[in-house]
Amino acid sequence: MKNKNVRLLRRERGANAVLLGPMYLFTVIFLVGPFVYMIVLSFLSRAETWGVVNEFTLRNYLKIFEPTYLSTFWESIKLAFLVTALVILAGYPFGYFMAKLPAKWRGPVLMLVTIPFWTSSLMRLYGWIVIFRANGLLDKFLMALRLSGEPLKLLYTYPAVVVGMIYALLPFMILSVYSSVEKMDWTLVEAARDLGAGPVKAFFTVTLKCTMPGLMTGVILTFVPSMALFFIADILGGNKIALIGNVIQDQLMKVHDWPFAAALSVILMLMTTLMIFLYRKITGSKDVEGIV
Amino acid sequence: MKRIVSICLVLAMALLLFAGCSDGEKEKTGGTLNLYTWAEMFDPDVLAGFEEETGIKINYTNFDYDETMLARLEAAEGGDYDLVIADDYIIETVIAEGLAQKLDKSKIENYGNINPIYQGQFYDPADEYTVPYGAGVQTIVYNPDKIQIDVKGYGDLWDAAFEKDLAIIANYRVIVGMAEKVLGYSYNTNDLDQIDEAGELLYKLAPNIRLIKDDNVQDDLVSGEVDAAVMYTSQVTMAKLADPSLKVVYPEEGIGFGIMGMFIPSKAPNADAALAFMDYILRPEVSKASFEYLGYYCTTKAADDLISDEYKEFLVLPSDFKAEDMEMIGNISAEAAEKQDAIWTRFKDLCE
Repeated sequence: MKNKNVRLLRRERGANAVLLGPMYLFTVIFLVGPFVYMIVLSFLSRAETWGVVNEFTLRNYLKIFEPTYLSTFWESIKLAFLVTALVILAGYPFGYFMAKLPAKWRGPVLMLVTIPFWTSSLMRLYGWIVIFRANGLLDKFLMALRLSGEPLKLLYTYPAVVVGMIYALLPFMILSVYSSVEKMDWTLVEAARDLGAGPVKAFFTVTLKCTMPGLMTGVILTFVPSMALFFIADILGGNKIALIGNVIQDQLMKVHDWPFAAALSVILMLMTTLMIFLYRKITGSKDVEGIV
Repeated sequence: MKRIVSICLVLAMALLLFAGCSDGEKEKTGGTLNLYTWAEMFDPDVLAGFEEETGIKINYTNFDYDETMLARLEAAEGGDYDLVIADDYIIETVIAEGLAQKLDKSKIENYGNINPIYQGQFYDPADEYTVPYGAGVQTIVYNPDKIQIDVKGYGDLWDAAFEKDLAIIANYRVIVGMAEKVLGYSYNTNDLDQIDEAGELLYKLAPNIRLIKDDNVQDDLVSGEVDAAVMYTSQVTMAKLADPSLKVVYPEEGIGFGIMGMFIPSKAPNADAALAFMDYILRPEVSKASFEYLGYYCTTKAADDLISDEYKEFLVLPSDFKAEDMEMIGNISAEAAEKQDAIWTRFKDLCE
């Protein structure tokens, strides 16, 4: 009897391996493979005009420390911080009040937040061009109100990029804060109020702490992409704001320096890892809510 | 039994995963021309005319970037495609890697129709592998109502009249090269001091830059978003057709040329069809239709006179054009390219 059980268990394991095998294979081929390829590539030398030579070098990483590229990293981080801060300011209250809406309104509002995702983000960015361009919607509106006398030329400016980034990333913040607030145990807030905390104090000592995982998830989902969303800087910023993402794209498509592009990508990934590490530190949680 | 079924299902799914990896079988019958180039390179009527006349079916596939084409051609070891059209600099690499075959010119009756100005260039010095199909230059186009100064060349772009109103192409070789030209150097200089000097000059252009973009710059010029632009020939064509009052300037410092070339891959399944197609395109009336559609400089000398007046100004070289005024942008040393790229990245930083 016992023997039979062991045999059954073995057979089960074998079946599991067969069932899960393709998934592991998929992960290895499409996730681990490219990752390893990128790391190896980042240590190789570029060929004279095209391609890669199998020669070990640290040049690609040293090159990142040239002032030009360091300043690109710095600019990207600055923009990412600015965008993240603004997204928190706009997204946290939105998510918070959305979760506190009566149940029958929550569904429709949630739907409205997600509807833009049904169209390509590129199309939505072109919508901003129509708004921002000379004699576009915004110009006409401001001129009709006599707030400005001539076209402002808002397109291809830094603020245009910031607005585009906020627009693209805001839903991620709203949704992560929403899911956190919705799950919150409100009796804790009641207890705080009973014990004499004012509404502001209760919010900062209880609500904010309880929703920290959601907020931090939103921060990661905002901060990391905003360093790499090169097409927003291209389309709304007129290509003048060089983010890390733009530099990587240029290295691949124009300069043909693949090893350097790989090194930049590795650094970008390390920065992402750092963010997730910080997330775990701050929230004490093991997984990233909503991401994993 | 259930387990067997589920295992079979999983295996079937795994097989499906790999089904996509198999080599797409290409038709290799005598009746097909596998044409590989960017989208919208040909007037559909021109292609239909060839199919009707020869009975050869054209299988037109596209790439976005020259680099994609090279990678595909390397993977196919010079097979799969019969005719490829790409940019000059990448053709140099294709030929160096042995992925192109020499043309049997006896089969191209109209070979003599090619404008010799576009022949014997760096990527194919002896004209053994390629037939040019369209050329582009980078010219300055501006709105004379907004820009009051007399623009003669690249050097004038540094003038304060262009402040925050200039659009440029997003190609670092063209833009750094522009500064090199103003200083009297070559586009293809490998002298790092000269490149540095060009960089310092270029940084001073930053306050005038409003936009850096490769695609559809003409829209921004026509809509009034910018008052002047440095752009490619096909864009100049579209801008002029949309707004004839715009002014086109051939920079006095000299023109940077780019040529697109047709070549036959080394193991093309149907090289004869490719040769027949080249011959067909080189007919004056077919060239006329093609270049008016494409909007690039007409590389078929015999078609120059046929180009309609509306297009002549920007598809046919000016009669006083001298070959020594043009310089092609060729490959430069890795060191020089790296330096130019660093300048470009810094320049973009300064543009904000």
